[in-house]
Amino acid sequence: MTGLAQQQQALLDALFAMPNHDAIKIVAACVVDTGARGLKAYQTNGHMLAQRALAGAYPVVDQLLGDESFGDLARALWHAHPPVCGDVAQWGAALAEFLRASPQLQDEPYLHDVATVEWALHRCATAANRAAELATLVLLTTHDPDRLYLVLAPGCATVQSPWPVVSILNAHLEQAPTLAAVGQQLRDALAQDAVVWRAGLRPRVRAAVLGEPDFLQALLQGKPLGPALDAAPLLDFGSWLPMAVQTGLVLSVVAAETPQ
Amino acid sequence: MNVMPDARVAVVGIGWRHPHYAPVLEQQPAVDFLEVHSENFFGEGGAALAVLEQGRAHYPISLHGVGLSLGSAVGLDAWHLDQLARLVERIDPVRVSDHAAFARGSFQGAMVHAADLLPLPFSTEALDVLCANVGRVQDRLQRPFMVENLSAYLRWKPLADEHHWGESAFFAELVRRTGCSLLVDVNNIYVNALNAQRTDSALDPVQHCRDWLDALPSACVGEIHLAGHCHVSDAHGDIVIDDHGSRVCDAVWSLYRHAIQRFGGVPTLIEWDTDIPALDVLLDEAARARNVGTEVLSGVGA
Repeated sequence: MTGLAQQQQALLDALFAMPNHDAIKIVAACVVDTGARGLKAYQTNGHMLAQRALAGAYPVVDQLLGDESFGDLARALWHAHPPVCGDVAQWGAALAEFLRASPQLQDEPYLHDVATVEWALHRCATAANRAAELATLVLLTTHDPDRLYLVLAPGCATVQSPWPVVSILNAHLEQAPTLAAVGQQLRDALAQDAVVWRAGLRPRVRAAVLGEPDFLQALLQGKPLGPALDAAPLLDFGSWLPMAVQTGLVLSVVAAETPQ
Repeated sequence: MNVMPDARVAVVGIGWRHPHYAPVLEQQPAVDFLEVHSENFFGEGGAALAVLEQGRAHYPISLHGVGLSLGSAVGLDAWHLDQLARLVERIDPVRVSDHAAFARGSFQGAMVHAADLLPLPFSTEALDVLCANVGRVQDRLQRPFMVENLSAYLRWKPLADEHHWGESAFFAELVRRTGCSLLVDVNNIYVNALNAQRTDSALDPVQHCRDWLDALPSACVGEIHLAGHCHVSDAHGDIVIDDHGSRVCDAVWSLYRHAIQRFGGVPTLIEWDTDIPALDVLLDEAARARNVGTEVLSGVGA
């Protein structure tokens, strides 16, 4: 390892290792005076950035835990799963699994599902734009469903949960339903699967209707409409489609090329 | 008809951050350019990019990165450079820049990014790495690139048997070897001088900064940054932090005047990234920069 690589390795170790006493000693040997105050400045900056970045992606987990606990969580995640690229908005994907594995949070077992939906919303916000072409819906009346593909909104994803995860999110993001109503849903063990998509520029989330997660999963796996419907026998496609088109979840229909 | 800009009027822009997205688009204040952090627009679509494209319709955009990690011994992240190249193609910025810093490296066997602007030693090896990485960026973007000096909270000891450059000489050599320009952050120089004063009480921070500026070739500067800083005193000790959270201090204004005298009418940016105030405050700072710069350029009070 070259001198420069060793210097950089020492500083990265000091910033990410936990505990990092030895790493700090190594940095201190490489810098003018002890470097302790400067190193503390970088550590503090990293921890503040971790909390700010994570709160940007997970505003509801932040509200559920409160600032102090969320800050502790952000710092723990920062050291356990450091950023891997220079766009800090990409950091934090590991939070749901981190929460699931946390012994201190076993009393709030819905948290990791909330985090999973929030990460889907976060990713959805920057997904590639797609334009609606509603005139293509006429293909549904003229073509075999086995040769048709529904084009879904940017960032479309589903999250299956045994908890009222959509109500928890909406109670904190939209102030409806009330927290009291969500508390009752939790006591009743109401299960909600979430559908995430982007309507125009706005990320959206709602509770899935019966059969919808299986259907959307099949579409997201690239299956044509016919097989996707076969995968979701409980879905009432006739009532789902107008709702999906009206809310921007379905943008267009594409027919497969006829084999020559 | 193209109207040539008046070389006696300073070119001044503002850092465009989230709280000012809507106010800037609604008010369209009279600034010469907007500067954004490139990484905030790395997404493939969505609201942030739509806002930037609206801003681009009214202003030249300068893309200022914080994550390329130009000084990393492990090299650049190809993904990051791809994202930047795509954004450059989409926005056609007036300038593109990042910092003479490192953040990428290995930790426990995996590649990590510290998401910070970590300082480089001013060694020949660091210069070689920086030149190679800047060259790779310029080759990819096919346009001139600017590199900014840091506010650094650690200073590396020179390694034995290795040539150690003065900071200005280091940057001058970077420019000579790569053809890039410098983005001189005057506040960063001053913050470094204030922190150096902690271990060298005889150091005069303002004179130190003037010497720093005077040691650069005058034609190598492509942009100037101005921002505020804060003095932190806590259980860990005293330090000056470049937090971009307040107005530019008087000493930095005087150094800015000196910089314009030396480098001419290079574009100047007012940066404000923490405790972001109302847009009017930022515009007031921009107006002051324009007045100072224009006074110098027109020979009044130079």
